[in-house]
Amino acid sequence: MISANQQHSEGGQQTSANVTTLIDELEAQAGLYRLCGRLLESEIDSPLLTMLRGELREPLAEAGVIANTSFIEDSEDVVLERLAEEYTGLLIAPGAAMPYASVFETGRMFQEPADRAEKAYRAAGWTFRSHMSGEFPDHLGVMLSFHAIQLQAQADARRAGDNETGDTIAERSTRFLIEQLGNWAPGWCHMAAKASYEPFYQQLLTLVEQNLWADLSAVGSNETLKKLTELNRRKPPKLDYDADFRKASGL
Amino acid sequence: MIQSAKISRRNFIRLGSAAAGVASITSNRLVAMEQNLGGTDFSATSGVERQSVPYTCMTCNIEDGGIAYVENGRVVKLEGNMDHANTRGKLCAKGNSGFLHIYDPDRIMTPLVRTGKRGEGKWKRISYDEATTLLAEKLRKVIDRANSEHDLKILNEMVFKWGRDRTGGAVSRFMHALGSNAMLNHTNVCESSKKVGLEPTWGPDIESCDWANTKYILNFGSNILETAYFMNPNAQRCVDGVVDNKAKIVSFDVRLSNTAGWSDEWFAPFPGTDGAIALAMNHVILNEGLADEKFITDWTNVTVDQLKEHLKPYTPEFAEQESGMKAKDIRRIAREFATTKPATTFSYRGPCKHVYGSYQEAAINMLNVITGNVEIKGGYCLPRGMGWPQPQPVPPAGKVASAMAAPPEYPLASHAVSTHAPYMVKKGQAKVSIWMSYYDNPVYTYPSSHVWKDMLEDESLIPFLVSFSPYMSETTELSDLIIPDVTYLERHDPESMPSGLYPCLSIRQPVIKPLGGTQEFRQTLIDVIQKVDPDGSLGMKQYFAFKSPEEWMRAHMDNIPGLKEEGGWDFMKKKGVWPIYGKVDPVTAKIVDKNGNEVDPGYGLHKSEISTLDMAGAVVGDDNLIRKDGNAIGVHVDGKNYKGFGGETPKLNLFKESYKKYGFNPLPTYKRLPSREKKANELVLTTYKVNVHTQSRTASLKYLAELYHKNPAWINPKTASARGIKDGELIRVSSSLGHIVTRAHITEGIHPDVMAISTACGHSAYGRLAQLKHKQADAEWALGGDPDIINNVWWDDKGVHPNPIIKLQVDPIGGSQGWYDTVVTVEKAQDGDQYGDVNVSVEKSLQDYEETLRFAYNGDMHRENHKEVDIDWDNLPKPTMKSGGH
Repeated sequence: MISANQQHSEGGQQTSANVTTLIDELEAQAGLYRLCGRLLESEIDSPLLTMLRGELREPLAEAGVIANTSFIEDSEDVVLERLAEEYTGLLIAPGAAMPYASVFETGRMFQEPADRAEKAYRAAGWTFRSHMSGEFPDHLGVMLSFHAIQLQAQADARRAGDNETGDTIAERSTRFLIEQLGNWAPGWCHMAAKASYEPFYQQLLTLVEQNLWADLSAVGSNETLKKLTELNRRKPPKLDYDADFRKASGL
Repeated sequence: MIQSAKISRRNFIRLGSAAAGVASITSNRLVAMEQNLGGTDFSATSGVERQSVPYTCMTCNIEDGGIAYVENGRVVKLEGNMDHANTRGKLCAKGNSGFLHIYDPDRIMTPLVRTGKRGEGKWKRISYDEATTLLAEKLRKVIDRANSEHDLKILNEMVFKWGRDRTGGAVSRFMHALGSNAMLNHTNVCESSKKVGLEPTWGPDIESCDWANTKYILNFGSNILETAYFMNPNAQRCVDGVVDNKAKIVSFDVRLSNTAGWSDEWFAPFPGTDGAIALAMNHVILNEGLADEKFITDWTNVTVDQLKEHLKPYTPEFAEQESGMKAKDIRRIAREFATTKPATTFSYRGPCKHVYGSYQEAAINMLNVITGNVEIKGGYCLPRGMGWPQPQPVPPAGKVASAMAAPPEYPLASHAVSTHAPYMVKKGQAKVSIWMSYYDNPVYTYPSSHVWKDMLEDESLIPFLVSFSPYMSETTELSDLIIPDVTYLERHDPESMPSGLYPCLSIRQPVIKPLGGTQEFRQTLIDVIQKVDPDGSLGMKQYFAFKSPEEWMRAHMDNIPGLKEEGGWDFMKKKGVWPIYGKVDPVTAKIVDKNGNEVDPGYGLHKSEISTLDMAGAVVGDDNLIRKDGNAIGVHVDGKNYKGFGGETPKLNLFKESYKKYGFNPLPTYKRLPSREKKANELVLTTYKVNVHTQSRTASLKYLAELYHKNPAWINPKTASARGIKDGELIRVSSSLGHIVTRAHITEGIHPDVMAISTACGHSAYGRLAQLKHKQADAEWALGGDPDIINNVWWDDKGVHPNPIIKLQVDPIGGSQGWYDTVVTVEKAQDGDQYGDVNVSVEKSLQDYEETLRFAYNGDMHRENHKEVDIDWDNLPKPTMKSGGH
């Protein structure tokens, strides 16, 4: 089976894979990113919880997101409240693992990575619109959702036999994956999973991390992957300070 | 081929010397950086000119004029607004760093409602609409209960406490619309006793010294160059005076601040004895014939003889005994001050933040009065602010006074006594249904801060706690609901601060749209009132009929005479300040007109003459006061009728009738404080601000945190040696409330009987940087991935906050907290002590409350301490309720 992204791997060759398989694969990937994007973009609501407990329960479990007893058996209100509290504590309130590329890259909200993300959305005919205050275009959930849209658009184009458009979208999609998600999102998911108290979010974030690395591995050269690995570790050089100089000022 | 002339070294030198004598030979291209701050800035990467938007700073409370540079919709740089005549295009380090507040990943960006136990840190996000609806419902319930029970005092159960209210009347409008008078400011943990020491004498607010033109400065307890009130403008002009005008400056401070160190002379008196020194100087000046007796006769409500008689006990020898400053130095400085013209004093927290701080301030003020230095060029001038109209209609104040907002035991404390609130609530003397907190963090900033935490944690005392803070402070983390305001760079406010000699109005406006759809506080107030009174039947909605915060601002600014003609609000948006007096001269930094002449700020404000029309029916009394319809309206001097000053009478009221009414000494006096009676092995604990931080709100700013983040306790080498304490060692500092464990910083720059610990450090909240959380927890996740903080925060010491061991004790006159009156013992840390340990008792703090009430005018210690006051002690006025104020 050929991954959608493998068609556009750096320096890779087009294959003669079965088109139907490719489209199925693209749609499956789109579905997974769409789900993960939605789960991270905002709190889980009643219809989504119903799906998570029902039709999505088994496939999620196979992917490592295993619903525990309380997730399944507690009343909907209780579970929704608990998940909303965890979502806020993990991703929103001060002290959270801020799910923004800007924060990961610069330590500040709404910096240049937010512009990059918005530019990518616009280039594809989309724009960002917040629902709650404090939301920015470089939110991981939004970026995953956008990636899902691109994968789906590629699938749609190929299904319609428009491989030229499909190729254009695939190229754009790969670039977004490497340049906008690949340089921070897996590493952030790794950190955020550790910070979460709720098994559901821990497993979800681990799933996103693994999926991103899998897709990046499929499209990135070894050199690119090595660079992305370093970026995700976020270990820029320390400033060479001698803190003792402060002593001279009496402090 | 060009033949080079043979030039000797001597020739070179001759040419160089000749050229050096011709000042006009110079580069036209190189300009000193400080002379080129002109309101334009360019992108470092694209070279494109950045958008510039004027604003008024509010990193601290000085309200400097600023320009924000915006690139790609982001604030990238701040600098001073050259059109602001008082701050003259300069910002301090705090002001330059303020934009970091906007993008701080620990900023609260959405309303949060508590889900766990109070203070547990569990939240759920909600929208601004949901949040304002929730608050409105809670408020409406209180209002409905008050109406159904026909008990309007219930309305005062809606309490609003602020630390900084720079909304230009929005908070009062909101609370009065709700019918509540329960508004608590912060001023008594600040300089209220300074104000109350001055206000009866000459009117509102503090002196504005003409530093640049003075020749002599007596600085009592103020770090002018770094932290005092109006620090930036005062520091600039003080440097102008001392450096350019060759003024002498003498500082009195228990600690060698950078201002004290920069002064010509530094004296370190015992804490709380500045008043004794000032009275002794007054004594010398009057008794040696150095006073301006005509000015005293014309402009004060006392006679020279009366003053001499009053000052008899306050000899330099007496002051030496109290303060430790040599009597000969007191005499010398007094003579210098009186004979050098013009001269001025300046004082800030040092003298006034004591029990009886109002007396100390009044004693210092008197030095200027008896030497005739008031309202003259280079002298001690009145504050100069400007007002602005409130949009009509304005809601009337609530019908029932709030004891918590203005405790009746303190009738002279015109800036209230907010420190007492938690004690009153805990004792059942005040009831709270809803506590609203705005720009306020008493769990960190107040004395015995643990008492505030104890109260706010208790849901039986505070059933509903709302914070409007955009930062998770020690107080906000206890909230039930957070409706985050935006930062000062994203909102509207009218402003006027008497920060210099040129009175002006200024504004805040959003220099960028509120980040991420956050909502400014002003809009939140509009929304809440509209929801409390949706159909207008409660009569509240009419006061908040603004379509937007900007429309509200227009209602303030569009009808001010003079400004209106220049464009009103639209002018303010463009310039940020009004009026524009002139330009900053690039060489002298003076404000000059188009001809290059310095703009005269105007002196002698008290000499504004009363019109003939207004004099009709007026009479001049033997005391040369002009009275009309039973009211004193001016002062008759040298055949002219002047409006005079704004205190109890139009004269300078060195004798304060209001003080006497409640059994306080009407003339400036000195009271020995309990801390002066300390045992030999004890120290007096003082606190101080530092130049790069506010009291509590800036520890989260990276630029500033790197500059200053830990606050070891300053201790004199002799004192340390006697206790076997070495520099940097852990020490235990104990007051009657308990102890903290911190480190010693041994320095000669502190009085041997004093320990000094700065504010701004030792946070247990206010974001991860302030707490150094990444040093305590798993660095991989704790900072949300901020690589800069994880890797480049090289310090691992956040300091220790001293407030828990500081006793509540207030000045019974002005209400100021006696920050510098806590007696402590200091010893090497004991086994098991850890750096940062805090162990204090709420119960003991409650005892302090009872003790400080004994000093209030109706307390037993008051009479004991004021035997000299000739008044019917058995018939003092009864405590009465009054509205609060700021």
